[in-house]
Amino acid sequence: MLAASVLADSAVEHYRGSFKNKAMLTPLIVAGLTLAMSLHGTADRRPMAHQARDASYLSAAVTGLLGTGFHIYNVTKKVGGLSWQNVFYGAPLGAPMAILLSGLLGFCSERVRANGGRRRHRVFNLPAGETVATVTALGLLGTSGEAGLLHFRGAFHNPLMALPVTLPPIGAGLLAGAVVNGGARPRGLARWWMRLLVGMGFAGVGFHAYGVSRNMGGWRNWSQNILNGPPLPAPPSFAGLALAGLAALELMREARNA
Amino acid sequence: MSDDGRHSPRARDGRAPDVFRPGGWVSMKEYSDHEAVDFVIVGTGAGGATLACKLAEYGFSVVALDAGPYFRPLEDFASDESEQTKLYWTDDRIVDGDNPLQLGSNNSGKAVGGSTVHFAMVSLRFRPEWFKARTKLGYGADWPIDWREMWAYYTEVEQALKISGPVNYPWGPPRPRYPYRAHPLNAAARALARGCEALGIGWTETPLATLSAPRGLAHPCVYRGFCVTGCSTNAKQSALVTWIPRALSAGAEIRDLAMVGRIETDANGLAVGVHYHRQDKWRFQRARNVVVAGYAIETPRLLLNSATDKFPSGLANSSGLVGKNLMAQANQAVWGEMDEEVRSYKGPPSLAITEHWNYEDDGKDFFGGYAYMSQGPLPQLWANTQATAHGLWGARLVQEMKRYNHVVGLKIVGEMLPQENNRVTLADERDQYGLRIPRVTYSWCDNDRRLIDHSIAFMSRALSAIHAKNIWVQEDDTCHLNGTARMGDRPDSSVVNADCRSWDIPNLWICDGSVFPTVGGANPSLTIQAIACRTADRIRALSRLGEVNLN
Repeated sequence: MLAASVLADSAVEHYRGSFKNKAMLTPLIVAGLTLAMSLHGTADRRPMAHQARDASYLSAAVTGLLGTGFHIYNVTKKVGGLSWQNVFYGAPLGAPMAILLSGLLGFCSERVRANGGRRRHRVFNLPAGETVATVTALGLLGTSGEAGLLHFRGAFHNPLMALPVTLPPIGAGLLAGAVVNGGARPRGLARWWMRLLVGMGFAGVGFHAYGVSRNMGGWRNWSQNILNGPPLPAPPSFAGLALAGLAALELMREARNA
Repeated sequence: MSDDGRHSPRARDGRAPDVFRPGGWVSMKEYSDHEAVDFVIVGTGAGGATLACKLAEYGFSVVALDAGPYFRPLEDFASDESEQTKLYWTDDRIVDGDNPLQLGSNNSGKAVGGSTVHFAMVSLRFRPEWFKARTKLGYGADWPIDWREMWAYYTEVEQALKISGPVNYPWGPPRPRYPYRAHPLNAAARALARGCEALGIGWTETPLATLSAPRGLAHPCVYRGFCVTGCSTNAKQSALVTWIPRALSAGAEIRDLAMVGRIETDANGLAVGVHYHRQDKWRFQRARNVVVAGYAIETPRLLLNSATDKFPSGLANSSGLVGKNLMAQANQAVWGEMDEEVRSYKGPPSLAITEHWNYEDDGKDFFGGYAYMSQGPLPQLWANTQATAHGLWGARLVQEMKRYNHVVGLKIVGEMLPQENNRVTLADERDQYGLRIPRVTYSWCDNDRRLIDHSIAFMSRALSAIHAKNIWVQEDDTCHLNGTARMGDRPDSSVVNADCRSWDIPNLWICDGSVFPTVGGANPSLTIQAIACRTADRIRALSRLGEVNLN
């Protein structure tokens, strides 16, 4: 899910930038690969990690880190340097982190798979549920930060634009709480909140579609306004993260019951 | 129908054009000519439209008249510079003096919404000291208004127009955050920024009255670049798409293609209404108060044309100052060429600005200040500029036009000092309505020249610093017009008081750029609208005290 969102979003945005730098193709290839690998992983019933999948997930993580570096370079080389103008309209600083996240989450899922039927899954010798929950919580905070920046650029002209900067951080807090409590207390609220975020992620596409319609020419002028208006593929990244959060909560529950 | 509103009025029969919907209409309250309204307002630009909206919202009955058409921007505005000259006031005028003004494009408008329909949207606050220019800076005249009061009204207007501006404004006392974020800079704006950074002065994104996010039925800016020939997307927050629709829904009546020729006064010396020309005949609208908002030329022209035996030198003119102290703003430019493409015409023309020389007084050999902004001349204007100001013709002009995509330019909005000899008077010639036309006399003073020289030298350095080539100077250009009915504290040295009320005729008000005692180095539209908001508040306060003629 996250990889699909990244693939579509970076495709649209880098297409908009005319792939001016050849490196701008990288995230498309890597996110496409990540998506293909996770589909492969889903179809693959064998309960073991796959080297090609691992390699692709790790390369996604590395791409995320490198992409962040590229985007920081792009922003700071512009006149005005690290200013609101360049953070708004230069390469988005937080975006490549999503591909890092999709790689990390994929890597975690491979570890869980490799553990087979064992109830206490571990990643890097850490409890799997807690690890995935922590990565997801950080991802929610980061994605929320990026939505906050871009919605600030849009002056929060619609009150609903406040949702992705308020709901996900609460979700991150609930996941963190579940980690800290070691699953001692009921995680019903956290689970419901993750489902809410999944819903928000999909509803966001609808809101962004409405946003596209409010540009000159509306949907009749789709070829321009999809590039120009709010990014349609961006909100589902919240849904992807929230699904990972649900999985983490499930892993923690299984671990506790084991 | 090919009629674009220029031949017969659109606002009538209880409805006015809905500027947001092609072919749409909104309902409009209508008054009969012999029904005395609380306020008849002459002009619907930055001053008149704002005041009409505010007064109607305060419950007064309002009729606002404009000589120009009621355009529908979504349908009537073409991406064509020649066609769009229909927005300008090009009626006959006589210009003279040592530096005759070029009238009819960037300094006038004949449309509902006035020149805000084609203004460059630059929405700046004055430097606080300018409101006490005489006392604090030693030149010009003091305003009778305190800057702190203006600061609150600036905020009101910035909110009303959803100004897109920088997150932090680098000059002057703190101001609230602009309601919308700044637009992305184009290459011309980045060139200004690089020049400023090379010379060690500040710059910022220009606060602009064009949307960077949706607002109601208005779309965000599409960076079409035809801003100064009329925005066809309604991103531009002109009076036509902001104050006027609000005024209509609050019960004001707008009359387009209605040219006011004379203000009628009675034996008591009070104004009783206006004579106006509409649909081929002269009519008379009765009113308890008359507001003149025709801008710096038409306002004094109307006051002078309304002379009677009781007021032989024109209305509101016991001080003899009506028409005097006309102030243009200097609009000199320095142009150059970059090796790389700039395509300066993309987006609003002035996306970046430096107000450094408005706020810094050290190193000046002149009074006043100037801002300079990045430029984006449209092709026809650019060819004209090359042919006239640069003196190119034939093969050289063609050659130069081939470099159009590489042009980069900086242009000032510079303060000129008030001089009584710069003035609007009446010529003997008459226009199509049979009214005496204005004679506009203008000469620069030594201080004006020193300011211009300073700006040209500085901007030339800024372009050199970014390695622009073939740098040349456009020496003679002016923009906004102000003065001619200045406000002040005393009847003998001003035409109106701080409330824009004439000293001589208590139910005659003047509310536009002509009340400015000084102009500063900032585009005046935001200040005109702020003054109008203040005037509306003062009228409401005075009416509660029974001090406004409402019987």
